[in-house]
Amino acid sequence: MRRRTLSPTLIFILILLLFLFSTSFAFAQVQTRVRVVYASNVGAIIDPLLGDLHNQLRSVFSFTSYRLLGDVSIILIGNNPIEVFVHRGRSIELALVEKHRDMAEMKIMMRMKEVPILNTQVRLSSGKTVFIGGPLYEEGAAIIALSANF
Amino acid sequence: MKDSCSSISKRLEKYFDNEATDEEKSLVGKHLLSCPPCQSALTSMEGIRDLMKGPVEEAVQKEDFSWVWQKIQREIRIKERPTRWEYFLSWLDRPSLFQKRVWMPAAAAIIILVLITAQLLLKKTPSYPDPTVVVYTESQTHNVMVYESGKGMVTVIWLFEGPEKELPAS
Repeated sequence: MRRRTLSPTLIFILILLLFLFSTSFAFAQVQTRVRVVYASNVGAIIDPLLGDLHNQLRSVFSFTSYRLLGDVSIILIGNNPIEVFVHRGRSIELALVEKHRDMAEMKIMMRMKEVPILNTQVRLSSGKTVFIGGPLYEEGAAIIALSANF
Repeated sequence: MKDSCSSISKRLEKYFDNEATDEEKSLVGKHLLSCPPCQSALTSMEGIRDLMKGPVEEAVQKEDFSWVWQKIQREIRIKERPTRWEYFLSWLDRPSLFQKRVWMPAAAAIIILVLITAQLLLKKTPSYPDPTVVVYTESQTHNVMVYESGKGMVTVIWLFEGPEKELPAS
């Protein structure tokens, strides 16, 4: 009996299509920026690294001093959560839930020393910012600014 | 020229070129001793050789044969190696590719996968109609306040230790 084997052409075409198929899923990715700011009423120092973020902070908060503690850019792909360590034992875990043409929905889990303290889901439009802040400690509070670009 | 000269003349060139067998050499040698016309023929052959030998050797000395040979070998290698396109065409020429048994499932797989892929690639994701930024929020340890600015440009999720302990900054 003649043994049936896969032709190299067939294998090549299948691999090519598999690649195309997988790359079509790879489009569901969102570049997310996590900036950590320490806001306080001690002094009146505005960190120049904050840039445009300072105006947004000033529009909703009345702290007198803002200092950038960290700035991390990550790419959220599919439902793979990414954990970012923020400040003083605090971390946030971000996961992309859904991506629309003009909006990305992401799940956020904030932990303080491994203990979950906030579980939320937000819809981020490109260029807009969500602040997650508090609670107050010492003379101010840590504020996490989340923004996305896609 | 004697009668035997006709038979010797055929061997004379081989004798002259040193290609004759020992037997032929002996035969021609004996004949030459007693045959002046054949001796003359041999002498004329030697004269022609001497005339040609000088210019040929001079030309050979001038020519760089190793370089010529290298060039020839390179040309042979270039001609022997098929181009990528020729290789691809020869690959396609394999008889198995034209067997219906191979192409039918391949064509079916291509059509199905192209349809699926095209749907995913060309799908126009609609813009999200709901302007709400915060879908839900919960905390077991803190009180949570959500504030969204009028234009929806900035949204704040603020954690409190407790309602009696602190208030937001603004």
